[in-house]
Amino acid sequence: MNSPLNRHKWEPYLWLLPSIILIAVFVVFPIIIVFKLSFSEISKAGVIGGYIGFQNYRDAVHLPAFRTVMLNTFWWVISVVGISTILGFVVAMVFNQKFRGRKIARAILVFPWATSLVIQASVWNYIIKYEYGSLNSVLLNLGIIKQAINWRSSYQIEFIWECGVGIFVTVPFVAFCVLSGLQSIDDSYYEAATVDGAGFWDKLFKITLPMVRPSLTVSTVLNIIYVFNSFPIVFTMTKGAPANKTDTMITYLYMLSFYERKKGPATALSVIGFLILCACAGIYMMTVMRKEDEQ
Amino acid sequence: MRNPDLIGSNRRALGLVILGIVLSLILFSMPLYSFNACVYTKKSPNTFVGDEKYRTVRAEVEQVADDYRAQGFAAEIGEDVLERVNSKGETTSLITFTVNQSLSKSPLSMLGCGFPASYVLAAMLFLMGLALVCAILGSVGTMDLVHFHLDRRTASLRNLAAVALLLALLLVPVFILMNNVAFSRRIALYNAGLLEEGKDALFAKMDRLLFDGRMGADIGKALSGLTMEHSGLIWMLLPAILMSLLAAVQLRYGSIKSSALRACLYFFVVIVCVVTLYPYYVMTITAFRSNAETLDMYFLHLFPTKWIWSNLSDIIHRGVPRYLLNSLLVAGGATGLAMLCGIPAAYAMARMNFKGKKAFLGFVIMSQMFSPVVLLIGISQLMNTLHLNDSVLGLMLINAAFNQAFAIWLLRGTFVSISSEMEQAALIDGCGTFGALTKVLLPMAMPGIVTALIFVFINAWNEYTIATVLISTASNRPITVGITQFSSFNMIEWQYLFAASLVATLPVVVLFMSIEKHLTSGLTSGGVKG
Repeated sequence: MNSPLNRHKWEPYLWLLPSIILIAVFVVFPIIIVFKLSFSEISKAGVIGGYIGFQNYRDAVHLPAFRTVMLNTFWWVISVVGISTILGFVVAMVFNQKFRGRKIARAILVFPWATSLVIQASVWNYIIKYEYGSLNSVLLNLGIIKQAINWRSSYQIEFIWECGVGIFVTVPFVAFCVLSGLQSIDDSYYEAATVDGAGFWDKLFKITLPMVRPSLTVSTVLNIIYVFNSFPIVFTMTKGAPANKTDTMITYLYMLSFYERKKGPATALSVIGFLILCACAGIYMMTVMRKEDEQ
Repeated sequence: MRNPDLIGSNRRALGLVILGIVLSLILFSMPLYSFNACVYTKKSPNTFVGDEKYRTVRAEVEQVADDYRAQGFAAEIGEDVLERVNSKGETTSLITFTVNQSLSKSPLSMLGCGFPASYVLAAMLFLMGLALVCAILGSVGTMDLVHFHLDRRTASLRNLAAVALLLALLLVPVFILMNNVAFSRRIALYNAGLLEEGKDALFAKMDRLLFDGRMGADIGKALSGLTMEHSGLIWMLLPAILMSLLAAVQLRYGSIKSSALRACLYFFVVIVCVVTLYPYYVMTITAFRSNAETLDMYFLHLFPTKWIWSNLSDIIHRGVPRYLLNSLLVAGGATGLAMLCGIPAAYAMARMNFKGKKAFLGFVIMSQMFSPVVLLIGISQLMNTLHLNDSVLGLMLINAAFNQAFAIWLLRGTFVSISSEMEQAALIDGCGTFGALTKVLLPMAMPGIVTALIFVFINAWNEYTIATVLISTASNRPITVGITQFSSFNMIEWQYLFAASLVATLPVVVLFMSIEKHLTSGLTSGGVKG
């Protein structure tokens, strides 16, 4: 589009300038700082020394909790993204039907998405308390259980609860992504399929899934990134205790740098996390750009 | 014209309605609640089964049991033998004799005992009776009509039957819950001496129910070992009434398959909504409890016994207004800045052609990928250098920068969808580019701008991680960090924590609901926070 808006060659760049400055100073600059720090010696007091090569990375990999934390991060991302994608898809399929009260139901579905994660995590923290939690209260009073259950009897179970809360807050996002895809499907496809004698599963696999695949891709990749970066749930519910056994990479690097004063390995971990994100972001960008070209 | 198929299926539906109601009546009259009361206990030390002392005591106990039987109570004798070898190698023995009363009560027999549950039961019975009458009246002489040809009276009768059954269905868990709280849980707490209030009144009612009021003053003793269990069969009320309900819906709307599917659909939606709202219920309820009640170990109260409104005024003195103000400043400033920088950029991206457009797009999307958390150390270092550490302004700038990508992305989409003809006309009329943007495009793009605005605002409002790292002075905290002061390591003031959470959540939830319609359209074109 060559419009009369382009009066000077440099004009577009002027329009972009404020945005570029903002992103450069507060996003790009920290990236550079983290990279630089990861190759520098940092004392416990935070004084930055000279270049020490890959020493920080070696320290990071040899941290006692490194393996656990990486495994936790892996399970955290896989389970939260995987399960919430499936659940979100089902919820979207149902919420796409026409029924009375659909508007209210959709408005309710928005709740977990709009709520701060710290608040969500605090509430769930209270719900699953053994001594006075709300879940025990409801189940006991309904007569479903006879004795209060300790919902967080071991750190594995606590980690599962954290994943559960993660899923709880992620499902609405997936559901709304899929809903937007579902709404763009023309009814005539289904009508034609019905005429051809296709059943429910045929329609699901041959029409619905291919048509919502772009939305599913976008939501999945974004979720991988957001869930990977998620900090408040784990931090509020267990703080990584006991002994970093429930930490994910993000909470661990926070603990390392701001509690244990091991800034060196922490920056190295940041860079590792950053590179993992870069890979995800690359995939995401390719998908989005391709979609952009199609339009 | 009579249609035998239709008459047949309508008859079946009516039959099922009646069958479901009859089944639930049968369930109501079955002895589903079993009570076990220990009315007399006698401990006899140094007694061995079969010896003389045993026989004396046994006769004594049997006398007591006979007395009870003579008064018309069912009484059984239980014995518990405890044998132990003491330090000298002698065997000692303690035999405990008890006189027990096992009673089974049907839910129907609880009618009129004055328990809250019995009023619920009365309501259920009334509703089911109403449904029965309506279903039968609504079927007399209209069995051969197709459902959309029903006259108004019949249609509303059949509707009423379905609605009454639905209400009855919803009351089932309420009834079970109330009975459990009243009998099983409360009495266990009274017997353990953990709870005193309301004891006499409840025991008097129990006397009426279990012993026809004949225990009188002895009731406390009689109930001292009382246990109550409900049979799992009581949950069968749910399928029985559900069957009636579905059949009533079929009677009204014709097809059972579509009504069953419909029921599943609503069931799923209700489950999703209940699970979603559950934490909010907990948050709201707990926000108005007293501190003692938030830590209530007896799990008795699903609602506050007394609504403590002063929790709200208490948090005012704990700095919450200040935190809210900070949050408002951070979120408002970040939104303003993100828009101020984002609108021109989005405008250029949508309307102009230039080298490096794609590269900028990539740059923007990349920046969206990095939540500030992974860059925490870098950001805190940068803020130190800029002397913006521990300041609301610094937080504002960071939030604006990290929301820039989304703002540009969403705004660009909005601008592209608006035709540029109007602006070109404005340009020809002598408006500058700036004038064309502010006077022509922005008013037309308002819905999209508002969506982006609210989104950025909510993201900034809910941000927690960066704020915990950057802010150390209490008076500079935003609300998300501020509420954590109520949950210190050794004491958590749940009521204040949730009162503050409630105040922090309500406005954003309302805001978010207002843009919910645009969410679905804006989402996949850009991508937003998770």
